[in-house]
Amino acid sequence: MVYEFRYLAPKTASELAAILEGHKTDGKILAGGTDLIPNIRNGLMKPQVVIDIKKYEGADLLTFGAEGLSMGPAVTINDLLRSKDARERYPVLCECAHELASHQIRNRATVSGNVVNASPCSDMAPALLCLGAQAVIRSATGERIVPFTNFFAGVKKTVLVPGEFLERILVPAASAGAIGSYKKLKRIAGHDLGIVGVLMTRHEGRLRFAVSSAAPTPVLIDTVGQNDSPDEAASKVLAAVSPISDVRGTKEYRVHMIGVYVRRLLAEVK
Amino acid sequence: MKIKLTVNGLLYERDCAEHTTLLRFIREDLGLTGTKEGCGMGECGACTVILNGHAVNSCMVLAAEVDGAVISTIEGEARGPSLSDIQKSFEKHHAVQCGFCTPGMVMSVKELLVDNKKPSVAEVKEAIEGNFCRCTGYTQIVEAVMDLTGRPDGKGELEHV
Repeated sequence: MVYEFRYLAPKTASELAAILEGHKTDGKILAGGTDLIPNIRNGLMKPQVVIDIKKYEGADLLTFGAEGLSMGPAVTINDLLRSKDARERYPVLCECAHELASHQIRNRATVSGNVVNASPCSDMAPALLCLGAQAVIRSATGERIVPFTNFFAGVKKTVLVPGEFLERILVPAASAGAIGSYKKLKRIAGHDLGIVGVLMTRHEGRLRFAVSSAAPTPVLIDTVGQNDSPDEAASKVLAAVSPISDVRGTKEYRVHMIGVYVRRLLAEVK
Repeated sequence: MKIKLTVNGLLYERDCAEHTTLLRFIREDLGLTGTKEGCGMGECGACTVILNGHAVNSCMVLAAEVDGAVISTIEGEARGPSLSDIQKSFEKHHAVQCGFCTPGMVMSVKELLVDNKKPSVAEVKEAIEGNFCRCTGYTQIVEAVMDLTGRPDGKGELEHV
C-alpha cells in the first residue's frame, strides 16, 4: 500500500487499552483486516496508527463456561466453525458464520470485527441478536457490558466510543440448543453480500427473527408468537424494518423476499 | 521493521515498512511473483497463499501481522521440472487458460486436501468460492480436483458438474 501508517501490536489487554486511550483520533483497531485494509488501500480510512488487537494474551480464546460461549477479538469465523462444541451447542451461530463471505475471508475475518464493523448486512449480528449475546467492552477506564440489542447505533456505527474495544462476545449458556435457520439472499451462489438475510430461531417455546440488510442496523423481532399465522408473522417482521433500494436490490424486492423467507422459515424450523 | 517468514520451507528475513501487505512482501521483497494481485480487496482470490495452514487473501494481511509465520505459495509446488500432483491434474484437465487465477486456485485446493482427502463436488466448490476464474471456467478446475482425489465413494465415472 502506498499510504503509510505505524503498526502497533500490544501484548496485554491493558497495554491495548492504554494505546487506544492515546490514539483516540488517529488510531484504528486491526482485527481480521478484511475490511480495514481494503478501506485504507481505497483511501476511505487514513489512520496514522494501526493497532493489532489479535496479539495480546487471551485475544484468541474461544471458551465455554458457566456463562456460556466467550469469544475474544482474535477468534476468526473459521475458528468458530472448527469448534465441535460451538457447532453442537450453537448451530444457529455456526450456520450464520458459514454464510459469511468466502473460505479465505472466513480464515481471517473475526466474529468481533464483523459486529464492530456494524454493516447492516452483517451475518453474525442476526445470530448474536437472536441468541441474546452480550458485548463486553473495555477501555483504560473500565468495563461495561452491552447486550447486542443495544450495540448497533446506525450504518457502520456502534455504541463503542474512541478508546474502547470489544474484549469479548458472550453467548449465554441459556441459548445453547436453540434451533433455527438463516436465509441469505445473494446475487450469486458463491460469496456475496446479502440482498436480505432472515434468521429465525425457536427455543423453549419462543420465536425470534433477526433481519440483515433491511434497515440501518441488523434488527431483532421478538414479538412473533407461537400461534401467529404466517401472514401475521411476516407483517410483524416487516413493520420492524425499513429496506432501501440500492445496487444489490430494490426496496420492493427486499420487502417481498423478507415475507417469503419468514413464511418459509415458520414452516421449516420445527 | 524486521520480518522473518518461512516461505516454502526457506527462512527469509527482510526489513520492510510497517504498512507493507503480505502480498507485496512476497512479490517485491522476496521476488516470488507467482502470487498475483487481482482486485486488492478480497473478492478475487488471486493472491491466495497458505498462512500457518490456512488459505488467506495475502492482499489483506500486513507482513507485520504475520512475523514468524509459515507460508506456502505456488512456487513451493513444483520440484524442479516436476509439477505437483495438483498442478499435473490442472494441466491434464485444461483447468488453466490465462493462468492468472491458477496460483490462488491451487493454494485453495491444497488447503482443502490437507484435511479432506476425498472431497465432494460441493466441498471443492466451497473451497474455491473465493477464487474467481474468468476464462477456463470452474468445471475443469473441479474436474481436476475430483480426478486427483477420486470420487468420494471411490467408484463410477467422473461426473461432469
